[in-house]
Amino acid sequence: MDFIEYIELVFTDYTLRTITLGTAILGAVCGMLGSFAVLRKQSLLGDAISHAALPGIAIAFLITGAKDSNTLLLGALVSGLIGTFWIRGIVTKTHLKSDTALGLILSLFFGFGMLLLTFIQKQPNANQAGLDKYLFGQAATLVESDVWMMAIVTGICLIVMLTFWKEFKILLFDSDYTKTLGLNTKTIDILITSFIVLAIVLGLQTVGVVLMSAMLLAPAAAARQWTNSLAVMVFLAAIFGAFSGVVGTAISASQNNLSTGPVIVLVAAVFVVFSFIFSPSRGLLFKQIRFIKNRRDLELHKTLAFMHNIAETHEDISHPHAIRLLNNFQGYTKSSLQKLVDKDYVQINGNMWSLTETGFDIAANLYNKQTTEDE
Amino acid sequence: MSSAQLEIQLIASLVAVACAIPGTFLVLRKMAMISDAISHSILPGIVIGFFITNDLNSPLLILLAALTGIITVILVEYIQKTGLVKEDTAIGLVFPALFSIGVIMIAKNANDVHLDVDAVLLGELAFAPFDRLVIGGTDVGPKSFWIVGTILLITVTLLFTFFKELKVSTFDKGLAASLGFSPAIMHYGLMSVSSVTTVGAFDAVGAILVVALMIAPAAAAYLLTKDLKKMLGLAIGFGTFSAIFGYWVAHWLDASIAGSITTVLGLVFLMVYLFAPTKGIIAVLYRERQQRTEVSLLTFLLHLKNHDEESERHVKHLNEHINWQKVRSKSVLDLAQKNNMILIENNIVSLTQKGDEFTSKAIDYIITNEDTQIEDMKDDFFLFRG
Repeated sequence: MDFIEYIELVFTDYTLRTITLGTAILGAVCGMLGSFAVLRKQSLLGDAISHAALPGIAIAFLITGAKDSNTLLLGALVSGLIGTFWIRGIVTKTHLKSDTALGLILSLFFGFGMLLLTFIQKQPNANQAGLDKYLFGQAATLVESDVWMMAIVTGICLIVMLTFWKEFKILLFDSDYTKTLGLNTKTIDILITSFIVLAIVLGLQTVGVVLMSAMLLAPAAAARQWTNSLAVMVFLAAIFGAFSGVVGTAISASQNNLSTGPVIVLVAAVFVVFSFIFSPSRGLLFKQIRFIKNRRDLELHKTLAFMHNIAETHEDISHPHAIRLLNNFQGYTKSSLQKLVDKDYVQINGNMWSLTETGFDIAANLYNKQTTEDE
Repeated sequence: MSSAQLEIQLIASLVAVACAIPGTFLVLRKMAMISDAISHSILPGIVIGFFITNDLNSPLLILLAALTGIITVILVEYIQKTGLVKEDTAIGLVFPALFSIGVIMIAKNANDVHLDVDAVLLGELAFAPFDRLVIGGTDVGPKSFWIVGTILLITVTLLFTFFKELKVSTFDKGLAASLGFSPAIMHYGLMSVSSVTTVGAFDAVGAILVVALMIAPAAAAYLLTKDLKKMLGLAIGFGTFSAIFGYWVAHWLDASIAGSITTVLGLVFLMVYLFAPTKGIIAVLYRERQQRTEVSLLTFLLHLKNHDEESERHVKHLNEHINWQKVRSKSVLDLAQKNNMILIENNIVSLTQKGDEFTSKAIDYIITNEDTQIEDMKDDFFLFRG
């Protein structure tokens, strides 16, 4: 299947359209809420909650006996929230650290969920098959009503986020100040956390337990590299998330035997790697380039200062000296010398160099004027 | 009890002990989530090993998987060092990506062979006794028994050899470095042991149980003691108990063994979390309440000292003017009276000499804020000790 054919299919094929829309919306809402998780240093919360949701799904099934996805997601939501608040309880009331609390809740809830699932499988009820799709996720099982559900939840998230934007923002960056303003930090906190749990639960069906945390983190981590503004970051993360969803679905649809979840995660990971390397202000590439440039400047200045030291000992500052003199000096290279000539700091006559007036002035003021001189 | 049952319990206990030892150090070093990351990210290692050897039982699989685990740790550290994201985000980015690669490799290439994500991730202890190790025609026991046993033996040997080094580098990296043992070597050593243990145990019991067995016993033990040796012992005890008891729960419910062992671990942790003598949630809540009453008492005594007029010292005044609830003001009054700090005559409260002295000292303490003052006070006036 080539690309154009695929685009046509997205508009004509019901299943593909549903899945593409679903993953796009999921990616967007995850990116949006993930930004808050990343900035609040709750990155692994997603991983813990997505595992903690499993027993809820199983219990919801045990109680209702039905496989209605909304009921199961409600169960997931409840147990995800219980897990979250237990994590908080462990962190605030004991000396166990957050990583231990996360790991604990994650593994214990998930193990309990597995126990329930195997217990359910032994039940004489033909209806139980398919519960384990929540473990690894199956985008293909998305139907239109699921997508509507996602869209509605995303809409609510968006409205709440815009309404409480200021409060969210201030809580993120200065929670003490938030308290002094008289805002109820607990309520805002619970609101954010509940939305994060909600987003995770929504994603379970599509990408599964293990990969859900990446859906939450990757777009946000990528977006973080491009901006220092929260609004831009949330917006970018939503875009990255939606793109990962669409591109991931497209790739997995164009090949056989390629599950959607992992592909979406890998596409999101590509976004992250790209952002890590190429973002202009924080990226590794430009950082390295800046580093090299700074080092060259420093070497140039070092050479100039060294020359200045030599020239100072003579009455005539433009007195020529042998290039040989520089040979033992570490900052000196042929090209750095040439650069000094280009800048008209130094003149070269055969094997001799001499400082010009400007060169001498610059060198004399190198250390006290460094900051303003720096270009 | 059949021999298969015995073998399962034996393997489960060995896994529990093998996990509890590195788990204790992971919990102490605040790296518990690394075990979760490793347990997922070793998938591509297993898959590549499987493609090379076409044999799920080849030792190469374990080797490659353990290597992937170490690569995960290195990658996480590298990303963290770039300063672009925080450590937890780095973990959260690395392991799903590696896991995804593993899942895709399985989906693309292993359709016609027996390799299933569920099987790899969930594990099934019940099948362990069927996979025998046969040497020279004699059956010497289940294969996972030997794998886990070897890993446990190595772990225990390393633990005894490097106990001091591990201890120092866990609690004080700077001191360890200045004493001449490299914290980096200890770190990577621990990571390697964790990685190998995860892989070995994972083969027998599945990924999630490995994480649970590493973190839960250590966390429960940490709530009970601060002594490293005791903590190790308790963690091993909790792990083994849960392994054996969990097996019988599974037997009784006819459900997944890994799931029920985890559930028992969860219950053990919950019990400790609730009832641990000083760190448990009930003890903490009780202490917090005591402290609140203690502070209220002090506030009340200061109030009495500052007010001579009778209207301010009426018993009812407490909940009318200071806005305390009835029960609370009564408990404060009772406490003060019991400690001979106040006298109540005709519903008018006044400080006794002792109360007066105490309050003066308390004011001194509040003004100077020196710890020595409060130490004196503790000796002179017990609040909840007497």
